[in-house]
Amino acid sequence: MILGVTFTEAGVIGLLVATVQFGTLLYLAALGETISEKAGVLNLGVEGMMATGAAMGFIVGVETGSPWLGLLGGAVAGAIVSLIHAAAAVGLGADQVVSGLALTFLGLGFADFIGDGYTDDERRARFADVEIPGLDDIPWVGEVVFRHSPVTYLAVIIGVAAWFVLNRTAVGLGLRAVGETASTADAAGHSVVRLRFAAVVTGGALAGASGAYLTTYLVGSWSQNLTAGRGWIAVALVIFGAWRVGRVAIGALLFGLTLALKSRLTLFDIEISGQFVDMLPFLLTIAVLVVISFRARNRPSPAPAAIGIAYRREER
Amino acid sequence: MTVPAVELDGIWKRFPGVIANSGANLTVRPGTVHAVLGENGAGKTTLMNCLAGVYRPDEGAVRLGGQELSFSSPADAIAAGVGMVHQEFRLVPTFTVAENVVLGAAPRIIDQGGIEASVADLAARFGFDADPARPVWQLSMGERQRVEILKALWRDANVLILDEPTAVLTPQEAVELGEVLRRMVAEGRSVIFISHKLDEVVSFCDEATVLRGGATVAASLSVAEVDASELAQLMVGDVAVEPVPVAVAMPGDPALTVDALSVRDARGLLAVDDVSLEVRSGEIVGIAGVAGNGQRALTDAIAGLEPVESGTITVMQHDVTSAPPQRRFRAGLAYVPEDRLGVGLAPKLPVTENAMMRAYRKLRRGPMLAWDDADQLTDQIIREFEVKIGSKDAPLASLSGGNLQRLLLGRELTGEPDILVASQPTRGLDVAGVRAIQRLIVQQRDNGTGVLMVSEDLDELLALADRILVMVEGRIVGEFDPRVATRADIGAAMIGGSDRSTRPDTEGVSS
Amino acid sequence: MKRLVLARRETPTRGGQPLAFLVGLVFALVVGAILLWITGDPVLDVYERMWDRSLGSQNTWSDTFNRAVPLALAGLAVSIAATMGLWNIGAEGQIMFGAIAATFVGRLLPDAPGLILIVAMLLAAAFGGALWSFGPAVARSEIGVSEIITTLMLTEVASRLIVYLEQGPWKDPDGFGFPGVTPRPDQAELGTLWERTHIGVLIALAVIIGFAWYLRRSVWGYELRIAGSSEKAAAYAGISVRRKVLGVLLVSGAVAGFAGGIELLTTTTGKLTVQISNGYGFAGIIVAALALMRPSGVAAVALAFGALQVGGQAIQTNPGVSPAVATILQGLVLFGAIGAAVFSTYRLRLVDRQVAES
Repeated sequence: MILGVTFTEAGVIGLLVATVQFGTLLYLAALGETISEKAGVLNLGVEGMMATGAAMGFIVGVETGSPWLGLLGGAVAGAIVSLIHAAAAVGLGADQVVSGLALTFLGLGFADFIGDGYTDDERRARFADVEIPGLDDIPWVGEVVFRHSPVTYLAVIIGVAAWFVLNRTAVGLGLRAVGETASTADAAGHSVVRLRFAAVVTGGALAGASGAYLTTYLVGSWSQNLTAGRGWIAVALVIFGAWRVGRVAIGALLFGLTLALKSRLTLFDIEISGQFVDMLPFLLTIAVLVVISFRARNRPSPAPAAIGIAYRREER
Repeated sequence: MTVPAVELDGIWKRFPGVIANSGANLTVRPGTVHAVLGENGAGKTTLMNCLAGVYRPDEGAVRLGGQELSFSSPADAIAAGVGMVHQEFRLVPTFTVAENVVLGAAPRIIDQGGIEASVADLAARFGFDADPARPVWQLSMGERQRVEILKALWRDANVLILDEPTAVLTPQEAVELGEVLRRMVAEGRSVIFISHKLDEVVSFCDEATVLRGGATVAASLSVAEVDASELAQLMVGDVAVEPVPVAVAMPGDPALTVDALSVRDARGLLAVDDVSLEVRSGEIVGIAGVAGNGQRALTDAIAGLEPVESGTITVMQHDVTSAPPQRRFRAGLAYVPEDRLGVGLAPKLPVTENAMMRAYRKLRRGPMLAWDDADQLTDQIIREFEVKIGSKDAPLASLSGGNLQRLLLGRELTGEPDILVASQPTRGLDVAGVRAIQRLIVQQRDNGTGVLMVSEDLDELLALADRILVMVEGRIVGEFDPRVATRADIGAAMIGGSDRSTRPDTEGVSS
Repeated sequence: MKRLVLARRETPTRGGQPLAFLVGLVFALVVGAILLWITGDPVLDVYERMWDRSLGSQNTWSDTFNRAVPLALAGLAVSIAATMGLWNIGAEGQIMFGAIAATFVGRLLPDAPGLILIVAMLLAAAFGGALWSFGPAVARSEIGVSEIITTLMLTEVASRLIVYLEQGPWKDPDGFGFPGVTPRPDQAELGTLWERTHIGVLIALAVIIGFAWYLRRSVWGYELRIAGSSEKAAAYAGISVRRKVLGVLLVSGAVAGFAGGIELLTTTTGKLTVQISNGYGFAGIIVAALALMRPSGVAAVALAFGALQVGGQAIQTNPGVSPAVATILQGLVLFGAIGAAVFSTYRLRLVDRQVAES
């Protein structure tokens, strides 16, 4: 016991395993939102897209019997829902805040609508854990890092790919330029509308996949309000990670730890309310935002400068 | 004879209410630096935007290397080998130099070190000193301009247009720019250099085309064969100034005294550099100068919208150097800012709410405003200054430019100020509007108000002002008596030529 | 080659926004009908039922009015901040904290006379809402921290705080061990006007009219408009933008918190729960957006949204029909209105392809 906290090996390993699992959930959605915001489009509809992905993921999963198809179905559903935001905020220049919030309503409603008949469905289409041969036997590390659902490994691959595209390709350079100063990117020959649409839809697909991960692995079943505000954590995570793919991944593990810890407080004899643990991601994000704003006095903020600003070419 | 690199033939470009180009021509030979000269509003930038694909000309032909082309976007022009460096840079501040240079023309997969090396090579080839790995926000304006030029060179621009490139440069940087341009033309490229500074044109350029009033007045003069005064004459024209009957001024006591004033701009550079001037009651002092030479910072500082670095501002014996704008207004200072919409007026708010912007504190009844009184005040301004409006509740933006200015001027004058500072009060107005505003300003002077008037229109200052001060690079470089000074004299001073003040006692004013 | 482009109209069509709202409503109902048709539900029956339950009789008008109260107050809170161009999207959390503050006073003065207690609890609610927006307000005015994110984050914090109070310090000793806060004192319940329409409707109407009038006619409202117009214009008129930012966000929070107080004093259980805000804060943003951020328009839009929500609950009791349709409808109204509003400020024009690209 340290400071009144009881540690057991099984308890700590279980905590860390759950941290990675929740981290995967948060990372997929936050990565999508990062890409969208990098292109200058704030999408506050993550919760809605995630919910739709969760419902569709479950439906496709149990109807086809394949969690892989479920995951894909969730991603496609998330992408389709996000198209509405793209059309309103990018195409018609509507306010991104309002449009994103309306998308939350729409997504949550749509999820309940399609999931209506599946609420008490006993069927399951769950991913099995995959053990990486040779590495999963390493004490501690093997269990925590190398025995997870394929979605976790996929998330790592997608994260690396996203980093590569954003930072090492012409498309990524253009996308980031669109999110900083759209007029400059436009003058340089990048299509602002096309890149922003692509970024929003990619974000939607990843949020949808994140939701599907809930129903094809983490929870395994569908019920109303399954996402339980995790979409908002993903929005916070983007800021916490200062809009950088790698830092968002670290933040996902940290925020994942708070989610994992919340249900294990009694296991460790920790004498504080789980609600305070639950508040941590949001309070930490506010703290990070304050620090960012302080430092932004002498240098540019890490936030893409064109976030929230609709772009329309000057009429001439 | 070689085929010209660029040929613009009879270009017309009209905007609502303005004709920017009326049959302008330009021919640029390959391997030369070609100056496009003209006063502000002569149509230089519009003409170049037609060449760079930003605008489509209404009429006329654009030929590159003898081939007629039609651009529908800047990207088209870039593809055809035309690059333009605008006055306002188009850079991504958080990107590195190399990322900015390759943006839009990058290899599919970007090897960070690779593009940095390529950009460094490109810079070295043209004699640039640029660190490709530095983020642009850390760079000075001069360095950012080099990034813009590198962008054009990266795309292998055969024709490079520079719009007032030296405006943001130190003298040393300007010399370095000249050397870079020489290297470019030595490779057979062409450079078009938009300017109104004659000394630069003489030192950098091979040929010059002069625009006035949107049309070409002199094409492809060999700079070596004409002298600066001829070019100045062509730029400003030799129209006889119609002497508008203005009564002789009867200057009284000093209404506004500015002593050794210095003001820094957002970049920390001295926008106003040790300026001293005095405006007495009942006289109009004009400030002439090319835009961007510190006039805005000077008037904003006098009005209290810009903090003062050093020096003092006195209005009617009251030191207001650090007073907030409202206290200066109460001390008798009225201000018509250059940005009517956005500083002087709030375009989305109703006419009444704009009319009461200065006086609303006197209209308060507890926490509420006396709207009847506000309406009366508005009616009074509208009546006295003949402002034409639809409804007092309509957004201000529904008014025409002339009426906006009348409302603004009227609001500022209802407090019967002792000193009126008016920045570009007639710019953008139609002829009738210009006349009306000018009449109001003269009337104000005749009533004993001191007027400090900034204008880019030299004819206006010659007609109205009792004294003209010329401002260049934040300093007052000369004082002229409009009754004896010629346009050419003042024009030469404005473009940084020799100081030919018509008054011997300029020591006190020009520091 | 020709193609369609959007061209800005010289002047927006008059009455465009109410029309856009109606178009949005129709659009939502049409899409809703398609969804119901897909699930094999009798579309007309469902809509008739929605109508009956929301606007069909005096009795159901009560529910619609009551529901419109928090929506309108939240919308008002959002539109007050928007006077200066600020986004208070944390009205949801401010409603919750307002309700927490009101509950606190109820626990403090359990035996106070009804009227005094009601006034004290409502004032506490407004104060609580302002307190919950205080952090974002200071951060915005002093350091320039985006109020969009901070207010949103604090919403999530507030909901956890309520759960904590339910489970721990404020747990009802008579709650048979189940989590839940002790109900408010009985005498603190707001009375009714007619049927089930509670007095909160009148109070909310007074607050909205008061603010609409005050913002229009007062020095403060005028200064907010100038300060929101541009920083330079504000300086020219001698107005401190920083103090206005602080003040307007606090007032906006107070109005949202007040809504939480009204909810607490009218809910049938009388208990503080996470459901006390029930998404009103977020829906209020859509309400305000549809009212073009005008306090005077908020009440009308809130009434329509109230009817939509109350009618939507009727679907829930109808087996076989997905209650989610009502939630979808709320989102669709906004998107329909966005689409329609585009045509009041823009019009479609057929132009040469080349010109279109220039």
